Amino acid sequence: MPNAVDINWYIALSGILFVIGVLGVLLRRNAIILFMSIELMLNSANLLFVAFARHLGDLDGQVLVFFVITVAAAEVAVGLALIVAIFRSKKSINIDEINLLKG
Amino acid sequence: MNTFSLAPLIIFLPLAGLVFNGLFGRMFVDNNRESGERLTGWLASLMTVGALVISITLFISLATNGFEAWYVPIFTWIDIPSANFRVDWMMQIDTLSVTMMLVVSGIGALIHIYAIGYMKGDPDFSRFFTYLNLFIFFMLILVSGSSYLMMFVGWEGVGFCSYLLIGFWFARVDKEGKPANATAGRKAMIMNRIGDFGVLIAMFLLFWAFGTLDYKPIFDNAVELYKANHMVQFGSVSLPITTVLTAATALLLLGAAGKSAQIPLYTWLPDAMAGPTPVSALMHAATMVTAGVYLLVRSNVLFEIVRDSGALILGLISSPDLVAWTGALTAFFAGLIAFSQNDIKKVLAYSTVSQLGFMVAAAGMGAYVAAMFHLVTHAFFKALLFLGSGSVIHGMEHGHHALAHGHDDHGHDDGFDPQDMRYMGGLRHKMRTTYIVYLIGALALAGIFPLAGFWSKDEILLHAQTHQMPIFIVLALAALGTAFYVGRQLIMVFFGKPRHAAAEHAEESSPLMTRPLIVLAALTILGGLLNVPYMSAAAAERDGMHPQGFWLLLEQWGKHSLPVIELSEEGALHLPHTPVVVSPVVAGVSMLLAVGGLVLAWFVYRGRPKTWDEADRLSRTPIWWWNILPLNSFYSKGVVPLFNRFAAWLAFKFDSEFWSGFLHDRLIRDLFVSFADFSANVLDSQGVDGLVNGAGAVTRRLAGALRLTQTGYARTYALAVFLGAVGLLVFFLFSAN
Repeated sequence: MPNAVDINWYIALSGILFVIGVLGVLLRRNAIILFMSIELMLNSANLLFVAFARHLGDLDGQVLVFFVITVAAAEVAVGLALIVAIFRSKKSINIDEINLLKG
Repeated sequence: MNTFSLAPLIIFLPLAGLVFNGLFGRMFVDNNRESGERLTGWLASLMTVGALVISITLFISLATNGFEAWYVPIFTWIDIPSANFRVDWMMQIDTLSVTMMLVVSGIGALIHIYAIGYMKGDPDFSRFFTYLNLFIFFMLILVSGSSYLMMFVGWEGVGFCSYLLIGFWFARVDKEGKPANATAGRKAMIMNRIGDFGVLIAMFLLFWAFGTLDYKPIFDNAVELYKANHMVQFGSVSLPITTVLTAATALLLLGAAGKSAQIPLYTWLPDAMAGPTPVSALMHAATMVTAGVYLLVRSNVLFEIVRDSGALILGLISSPDLVAWTGALTAFFAGLIAFSQNDIKKVLAYSTVSQLGFMVAAAGMGAYVAAMFHLVTHAFFKALLFLGSGSVIHGMEHGHHALAHGHDDHGHDDGFDPQDMRYMGGLRHKMRTTYIVYLIGALALAGIFPLAGFWSKDEILLHAQTHQMPIFIVLALAALGTAFYVGRQLIMVFFGKPRHAAAEHAEESSPLMTRPLIVLAALTILGGLLNVPYMSAAAAERDGMHPQGFWLLLEQWGKHSLPVIELSEEGALHLPHTPVVVSPVVAGVSMLLAVGGLVLAWFVYRGRPKTWDEADRLSRTPIWWWNILPLNSFYSKGVVPLFNRFAAWLAFKFDSEFWSGFLHDRLIRDLFVSFADFSANVLDSQGVDGLVNGAGAVTRRLAGALRLTQTGYARTYALAVFLGAVGLLVFFLFSAN
């Protein structure tokens, strides 16, 4: 590819996205935002897979991304169902109020 | 095969009868009363008759065999080669044992047959005959054993049968509601136990001195050791053989006093009358109680050695003299006690004690044949008297029943006792056969010529007069007393007028009961022929062949099993011997005493008592006081409280305080409790529980620390996951190189 972007940029972007996701998970309390942050982390990884697949000319990374997307979709489906259920009982999706397993 | 090998049958026939009656008798009797009684009663009788037949065969064999003792081994009982100790169950067939066998099985058979009639209708009919056969079995073991130990087996066995049969009606209570029969049985057992103790210790002494318990080796060795002045070692102490024999013979006398009811152990015998009358006749008059006399006669060599050596007990009296005096005093005092008895059987019981005293006195004076002679004749006439009294009691009971079922009601009001002579009177018209045979027996007991009792008693008196004058006087007085109480009994029972309605309605007993009486009466009349004496000593001298009489006479017959007679002929021992002669003086005196006693009784009791509640004519005289002779209450005042105190000591001190209190409570229980305490409170609660609880506590504390990490905030967990991931990353990055 003639005007290919240097792989380092991809790594940097992916790292930034992942860090944003991590911070979102750690700092935010809204369950939906939490899920979005997790998605962000998953996709930062996906980006890295795809970037390396192209850079190395190996299709395995591309294939793995499909798997990740599939698992993420399933996870979101379950997670959202949980959130809806929790909201029904607690009228809130504040993650800090869901602490029944406190030791 | 000679007839001696049949000898074990005399033991095993009664055993067979006893096993059959014991196992199946009750079944047959319950099934069909009449045929069952016939079967069990006649089977038991037949077994005894069988024993009698064998005894007669043995008698004939012995006579044709030169009177040599014959030994029939049955099996080896105890064999300890290391201790050189061996006891065979062996039968000794000699003239003495055969005499006893004939008496036991002969009288036994008659009484068995009599008992079929007497026990008719008794709920425990088969049990009675089982016991009777058991008794015959043990009695024959006693007389046929060839050693002191086998004799002792029989000795204990007959004692046990005596206990069983005295208490045969153990459920019956007396007027105060006490189980008198069972108590009497126990009393006999305990009194005999005192005598048995003597026999046991005597056997231990004999075994220690001679190393065997068989009669023959003991008697043979005893003479040898006596001649050699042998010393017997008891550990570090050594005693001369005569001392050992003195002790042994004195202890044998204790045994004989227990079994043959001599002073001071005689009190059980009158109480033994609680048993059925056939038992009184068989065991407590004719056979079992003579076992003591048999023991004394059997041990003749030992007694004569002691007499010969002049050894004294505590320096006072030699053991044969002690035997003679025990017998003579018993004969005298028991006769006196008989004066005051109103129970027909009690009179006969004291009379038995008294007559046994005669036999024991004879044995003690060395007149062993006379003792055996009196034993045999006494068995005849005393069995006759007892069975006669049974017939009288039966008649009285019959009369009483007739009253109870009859028209009037004045009969059964007053605690009527069919055995009480005061209710009787005038029975000679009602019970003709019983009266005649009873009269024969009573006259024989009194010693009237020519009945059996005269000959045997005369022989004892003659011997006493020749050798021991003081004993002769005591025995003569006893003979006078005998005639007196016999006369009193005859008058009260058969003469005068009936003093109670029951006596008026009395009836003769069944032939099954009277026929054995007639046989016994015949024996009583002819019994004297067993040892009929010469008319004078000179006549005895004339008979060159047999200076002591015709060979079948008891004197000739008995000497073959009395080793002392041969020993005295050899000069090894000195036996005071009296030839079998009639001494006109002694015979005259004894006849005079007998007739005098009867006449005296006639004067005192003629037509008396007039009514059943009239006081006895002698009740104000000193004679009556013998009734409260201290010896009479020896058992109740002496033995029983002593035993009770001992038992109380055992119970409260030994058992309760030492055994339970100290040993169990202090030692065993407290030790166990403290160990259990230690286990429970220390080992378990602090050891095991500590371990388990400790593990729990550690877990809890650990968990308390760990649960702090579980904040419940999902973000904390996420952070942990994140940090973990970073950690892993760092690990892999740095560990890669």
